[in-house]
Amino acid sequence: MKIRKALITAANPAQRTLPLQVLIDQEGVAKPALQIILEEAHDAGIEEFVVIVCPGDQEAYATAAGEFRSRIQFVEQSGARGYGRAVLLGRAALAGEDAFLHLVGDHLYLTTSKEGTGCAKQLIEVAVAERAAVSAVQATRESQLPYFGAVGGRLVPGGRKLYEIEAVIEKPSPTEAEKRLLVPGLRAGHYLCFFGMHVLTPAIFDLLGELEAASAGKGFALSSALHALAGRQKYLAFEVSGRRYDIGAAYGVLFAQFALSLAGRDRDLVLRQLVEQLAQG
Amino acid sequence: MASLIDIITSDDPAMRDRPLESVIAGRGWRALLADTEALERYRHGEANLYRRVRALFFLYAIHRFHLPRCSGFPVSGRVPFDGHVHLLDRRFEEAITVFLRAQAAEGASDTLSSALAASYHQLAFQTLADQVRATVRSTTGNTWMFRMGHPADHPLRVRREMLEREAGGPLPILRERTAVRMDLSHSGWSDIFFLGMDYPEGARVLNVSVDLGVHGRDAEPRPPIEACLRIIDEPVLRLTSVDLEATVELREIDEVFDFARDYLGLLKAAVIAAGLVPPGIERSGMSLADLFGRLIAPGHGIEIVSSVNRIPKGSRLAVSTNLLGALIAVCMRATGQTKSLEGPLTEDERRVVAARAILGEWLGGSGGGWQDSGGVWPGIKLIEGVGAQSGDSEFGISRGCLLPQHRVFGRDEISDEARRKLQDSLVLVHGGMAQNVGPILEMVTEKYLLRGEADWRGRLEATGLLDTIIAQLKAGDIRALGQSLTHNFFGPLQTIIPWVTNRYTETLIERTRAAFGDDFWGFWMLGGMSGGGMGFIFAPHRHREGQERLQEIMTTAKRELQSALPFAMDPVVYDFAINENGTMAELLRGPAALFPVAYYHFALPGAMRTEARNLRPGQRIDLQQFAQACREHPAFAGAAQPLLDRLLPSSGGSSRSAAALDGMLAANGFDRAQHEQIRTDLRMGRIGLAMNRLPARTRIEDVPAAELFDLERDGTEALRKAGLDALRAGRVGVVTFAAGVGSRWTQGAGVAKALHPFNKFGGRHRNFMEVHLAKTARAAREAGVRVPHVFTTSHMTHAATEQWARAHLGDALGREVFLSPGRSIGLRMVPMARDLIFAWEETAQQKLDEQKQKVRESLRQALINWARSAGEGSDYTDNVPSQCLHPVGHWFEVPNMLKNGVLRDLLREQPSLTTLLVHNIDTLGAGIDPVLLGWHLQNGAAMSFEVITKRLEDRGGGLARIDGSLRLVEGMALPREEDEFQLSTYNSATNWVDIDRMLALFGLARGDLDDSGKVEAAVRTLGARLPTYVTLKDVKKRWGHGQEDVFPVAQFEKLWGDMTALPDCPSAFAVVPRLRGQQLKDQAQLDGWKRDGSADAIATLCGW
Repeated sequence: MKIRKALITAANPAQRTLPLQVLIDQEGVAKPALQIILEEAHDAGIEEFVVIVCPGDQEAYATAAGEFRSRIQFVEQSGARGYGRAVLLGRAALAGEDAFLHLVGDHLYLTTSKEGTGCAKQLIEVAVAERAAVSAVQATRESQLPYFGAVGGRLVPGGRKLYEIEAVIEKPSPTEAEKRLLVPGLRAGHYLCFFGMHVLTPAIFDLLGELEAASAGKGFALSSALHALAGRQKYLAFEVSGRRYDIGAAYGVLFAQFALSLAGRDRDLVLRQLVEQLAQG
Repeated sequence: MASLIDIITSDDPAMRDRPLESVIAGRGWRALLADTEALERYRHGEANLYRRVRALFFLYAIHRFHLPRCSGFPVSGRVPFDGHVHLLDRRFEEAITVFLRAQAAEGASDTLSSALAASYHQLAFQTLADQVRATVRSTTGNTWMFRMGHPADHPLRVRREMLEREAGGPLPILRERTAVRMDLSHSGWSDIFFLGMDYPEGARVLNVSVDLGVHGRDAEPRPPIEACLRIIDEPVLRLTSVDLEATVELREIDEVFDFARDYLGLLKAAVIAAGLVPPGIERSGMSLADLFGRLIAPGHGIEIVSSVNRIPKGSRLAVSTNLLGALIAVCMRATGQTKSLEGPLTEDERRVVAARAILGEWLGGSGGGWQDSGGVWPGIKLIEGVGAQSGDSEFGISRGCLLPQHRVFGRDEISDEARRKLQDSLVLVHGGMAQNVGPILEMVTEKYLLRGEADWRGRLEATGLLDTIIAQLKAGDIRALGQSLTHNFFGPLQTIIPWVTNRYTETLIERTRAAFGDDFWGFWMLGGMSGGGMGFIFAPHRHREGQERLQEIMTTAKRELQSALPFAMDPVVYDFAINENGTMAELLRGPAALFPVAYYHFALPGAMRTEARNLRPGQRIDLQQFAQACREHPAFAGAAQPLLDRLLPSSGGSSRSAAALDGMLAANGFDRAQHEQIRTDLRMGRIGLAMNRLPARTRIEDVPAAELFDLERDGTEALRKAGLDALRAGRVGVVTFAAGVGSRWTQGAGVAKALHPFNKFGGRHRNFMEVHLAKTARAAREAGVRVPHVFTTSHMTHAATEQWARAHLGDALGREVFLSPGRSIGLRMVPMARDLIFAWEETAQQKLDEQKQKVRESLRQALINWARSAGEGSDYTDNVPSQCLHPVGHWFEVPNMLKNGVLRDLLREQPSLTTLLVHNIDTLGAGIDPVLLGWHLQNGAAMSFEVITKRLEDRGGGLARIDGSLRLVEGMALPREEDEFQLSTYNSATNWVDIDRMLALFGLARGDLDDSGKVEAAVRTLGARLPTYVTLKDVKKRWGHGQEDVFPVAQFEKLWGDMTALPDCPSAFAVVPRLRGQQLKDQAQLDGWKRDGSADAIATLCGW
């Protein structure tokens, strides 16, 4: 299995400017969030990118992409027509690929692996080794269920945090989660929630196509297609060693910036500033 | 030969279903004690919950029923006080240890066995209840709610559709409409959780969802339950019950868990069980604003409104469980816990609602069966127990799961025609009786686990009958169905529990059969017992006539029996239709966003009295919505008038009631001066519950039964002859105290206990009066003499007793049977808070299980607040007049006979009369025993009292040596609670009175009885020498549609037993057998009373 392309969705009209937000990366360099996301993918071996954007956003995104500008193919999605449809729009651009990396445009990732392996790279290594679609997941407290898709499944023997997915539910109620998404080995009240990062096979497009045909023009969720995928082929979840930062949430950009700074070159500077702020406050 | 443990442990039904008696029949008491030791050892080593529970029930039954019957089993013993305290505090294992230790040290006795029986019984039920509770908590889908402890962790969010509105318009209202359920089969109460979890294969019911309307009131049947939810612009939880006309606004999380503070406990339980305010967050000290800020958005709250279309309480249609289900469903939908906001629920979702309803019932301290949420499902369904499988939380603990499975019958199985036929024949009614089904359900559980031969046969027959009923329904053969249901009621159900029927129900059936002949196809009991919700099946062409006639028949029968049986309301006939949808929801938007009409009648007056500029935006919108609906919405036509009526004050009802009360006080010789003195003493703390007690230094000594005359041991032929001679000489009369309304018997319902037809004797229900008269009649017949029998009455019982006596005794009334109307009356008072606190906090109380205790404590706090706000020591007048007055204790019963001339007339008519047998209405074994009469005549006492050896339940005093003097002492007069446990005998309250010596005590002779002034003075003088006790009595206040509140009120009493404390009253005491001296105080005692042979023993004394 070769994975050389990434699909990035950034067409939510309410959040279209988020990937353009400028942050200081771990090296102390100011750059748009989009560029940080593209670097994450590139470090994992991705050569080309397909970015789903709102009409008219191409130029701004191209500029924000910096050195990756030439490797991006933009696809426009008009109006808020659902996450599933946004992914489906990448079908033509990803034709012929064994599998592809999928990231969302409003999340930043920081690895916590001892070796410093990036989150996307960890995921792709597992997908290649298992020759299967894999979604990155993170054990998440049930109070966060209203914000994420979540999976249920069984641990794959072998000592890695790898699970065979049996069910996927988008923003499940805690009752639904308890009944269908309990995963042996997790702490009580914790579920495997999506990390915003997947390696998917082209089969996902057939499933999304079926959902679109049945949707009568309404939006449909990627999770529904992922749930169906689990019934059709080997589909795994992997607990990556890393943290995700949703820059679309309240204070999301601030927290992401703290995380980047505290994990990078300017850690002391930022800490000192913080302490001074606290001392004055 | 099989042992009891073989029965418990066997997997073979032929062995497991054997009754206890099959092993222990014929064994002597020492062998039985050996059996109990083996069972006790076994239960401690057994891991399986249900086997342990069965062992507990075996132990209970041996101690309660079998040991006491054994010849030579010692009767007299003492209950260790510390064991009693353990029992009250629900430390059952500790209590059992103490009692067994006493048994080992002092020997077994009837007294100790009664304590052990009570302990094993309660431990068994506690074990079962704990298991159900643990299962409810661990049910998948519920556990997250017990983990959540902080608003920031709330995992639910309100769906955004709930917040969508046009600018200035109303927020939408989500309305859930739900049916109620009928149980068409009644398979022997097999839906009790314990049964379903131990015997899933036998837990089966045919359950029908129905829409309902009150015949003659509602245009057509509709889902009677509505639960509405909307988001509001204030950070509060506003709960409203349209039927109870109650509304409350909550701001703190802990207020949601305060169930008994108002009438909205059910709504609170729903909010908790649905996860809006999850149970885990109780006592977090947080505000609802924090929680709603997370759940909805800052500054927002939730309003929930419930309505059951004024369907009365006690309908046996599981209205409250289905309302709970509807409320939970609407809360779940609004917070994204269901797939769809509107329309029906999925099967999975219905099961979650059912599980949550069970949780809600537990939280609210109530409980139903597992079929009760059937109205959430559509149509006709078979509900069955499910065996526990690997992966179920019940697996390895119980044989069955907590939740049953529902199989909805399609139209291919039960055709439209069959459904229509059922509707064309069945008349659903509410007979109006108020009943507590709890004891029945306990009896069922106990009998199931004991597997008595007849009970078990009945259960198997009822279970088997279900298949017949289903086949008949499928075939549309409603006539045969009616026959099966009737057979079920009169056959297996009454075999298992005789108390499901009553005189009222049987009167209705009899009169309906007489009116309709072969066109009356059958009777069907709904729910736990009859008298409330019932079904009558008619030939279709007489269905409508059946509805009309039944209303008449029920109303007439109720009028005849309302003084004898507790009724909560007038009977009602329903219209019904099968609901084929199950619970359904609809989001009402814009002008259609309306609550039930009645909501506005009490929600709007406040807003209408507010100046327009001060109206909150929400109030303004509600007014606009209502005004527009009155113009345009058909359901709101005529809705404005009742609202206007409510704006004006009305006082007609209360002034009429006050006039009636004044009239009754005047008619019954109320002593206002004495009343004011008592009020002053009460308020000053000179009298009160704590002051009833004798001084702490009083010396209390037991009088062993061995020191007294014992009827069984010391009765002689000579005494019998002396007694018979006196009887034949016309020297004896009987006085039965019948002035009471059985506060415990009907929990304060205010009916004449004497007239309660409590048991079948000689093939039909007989009341207490009939039983006592039958004993006297037999004694008189055998002696060939006239024996006058007086029933004392009071303002509460006289009219009803006289009416009954005229109707049933013919000219015997006034010739052999006499009524002695009360001549003393008291006016109840609002209690002092200190007396309530003393009664509830400073005396040992039976604790309830955890959740019920919490509800009780909340209720008690509310009642203390009520006493303070209503005015401690003020007159209690906020009820019907008969509930405001009280009889002033049975000391007055005999003096009343002096004052009202009854004794004078008796003596004039029968001068030979020298002795009265005086006893309470509930001492069924009391009668003219010649040996006791002979003993009384020979001992020369003015009064000879009968006592019995004590059992645990015999509380209230006994015979003691008080500072050296032998006398009866009231339990409430003993200085310390433990004092009562030193006493080995209990006052049966039956006594023999020497008329002339008694008159002498009053300073009177027979000739003085014509002088009313002298009699009055004599009674007052002697009365002043006796102590006055302040007591608390529970009285019911009825309101709404079958609703009842119970208030503790203060009253005063003087008691007859205190005559023995007078030094100039020579008294004697005899020990009599339990069958003669025991009293029936509580209807929950009836089953044990019948099973232990007491009922049969009473029957042998009677001549019908």
